[in-house]
Amino acid sequence: MKHRILSVLAVSGALMIPAVPLLAHHSFAAEYDSNKPVTLTGSVTKMEWQNPHARFYVDVKDANGTVTNWEFELGSPNGLMRKGWTRNSLKPGDTITVDGYLAKDGAHLANARTVALADGRKVFAGAADDGGPSK
Amino acid sequence: MKQWTCVLVMSAGVLVLAAASAAAQPAQRETSKEPAKPTPRLADGKVDFGGKGVWAPIWVLDWANPKWVDKAVEVPFTPEALATFQHRRATDSKDDPEGYCLPPGVPRYTGTPYPFQMIQLPDRMVILYEGASHMYRTVFMDGRKHTPEDKLNPTWLGESIGSWEGNDTLVVDSIGFNGRTWLDYVGHPATEKLHVIEKFRRPDFNTLTYEATIDDPGAYTKPWTTSFKIPFKPGWDLLEYVCLENNKDLVHLGTSEPK
Repeated sequence: MKHRILSVLAVSGALMIPAVPLLAHHSFAAEYDSNKPVTLTGSVTKMEWQNPHARFYVDVKDANGTVTNWEFELGSPNGLMRKGWTRNSLKPGDTITVDGYLAKDGAHLANARTVALADGRKVFAGAADDGGPSK
Repeated sequence: MKQWTCVLVMSAGVLVLAAASAAAQPAQRETSKEPAKPTPRLADGKVDFGGKGVWAPIWVLDWANPKWVDKAVEVPFTPEALATFQHRRATDSKDDPEGYCLPPGVPRYTGTPYPFQMIQLPDRMVILYEGASHMYRTVFMDGRKHTPEDKLNPTWLGESIGSWEGNDTLVVDSIGFNGRTWLDYVGHPATEKLHVIEKFRRPDFNTLTYEATIDDPGAYTKPWTTSFKIPFKPGWDLLEYVCLENNKDLVHLGTSEPK
């Protein structure tokens, strides 16, 4: 990774790779690389609670102190609300750790799989699936 | 599904199966926690497809794959349709019209993972779809016949005529499609010659069984049929969904112009 981000970018050795998230609206495989899971920690700068996918942005500082603003994609707001999340579940300034999958095109973009607050509480856990059925 | 590229990774003793092109996890065939109540019926004995709640389908990525539907289908492609399908698989469905927020069409709408409601009136069934393109669909049940072919206006959802087989099965016959939809995420093609026969049944309160027969001589050498079950979600409402309001994915998908 040229970005030298504070990330763990490896196919997990001991842990099972989570099921690749559902997006429903567009091709996951064309946009994201299921072989490139990523874990990033940083500070939330913005939430876009809009369709077809909610998105949030996080300032991530690398080992050299360089800050990069990353974009993360979630499921649809409706699907998230049906799981109990709201547009206020994540607020600017929150420090979070996101597990997701990197975009194939090298953009500072990932599909968020789970989001954990600094105190360990999960936000948008399993949020990438959409709309109808949920576990 | 043999067309699918599966990557098997043996990792620390854990076998991980990732359907690389599928972007999918196994079908979430959940069953409602509600005890099975009997099929609701109207005064005339016909099935009532409504109720306070919504139908919430899984995302059927492939109408021919038993991972999502009741049984595997050997799809009778024409050579041209097979080439189209294989191209869509090889390019990870990047040109899927749904990525552009265009309507899924029939039968795909019913296998799209957003809820829908069936509003049952004496002379028509109106299906309200929350997701994808947030559309309604009218199934005419006033005794009319299909519009003559030379007067049909090709559309995304076609022209749908409904009728009953007994009291239990609503049959919806649709033609008049524009040929721009994909039948599913994996990209089974459709043409303007598409003719779909759908059968809706409600064997108990919480279950909708959906069957679709694809009759498209422009893409298939003979009709083929698929089916799956859809759970009812009591108490859920349909919500607003405007796909185009912030559709930022296209620049990352490497899409061509929509077909």
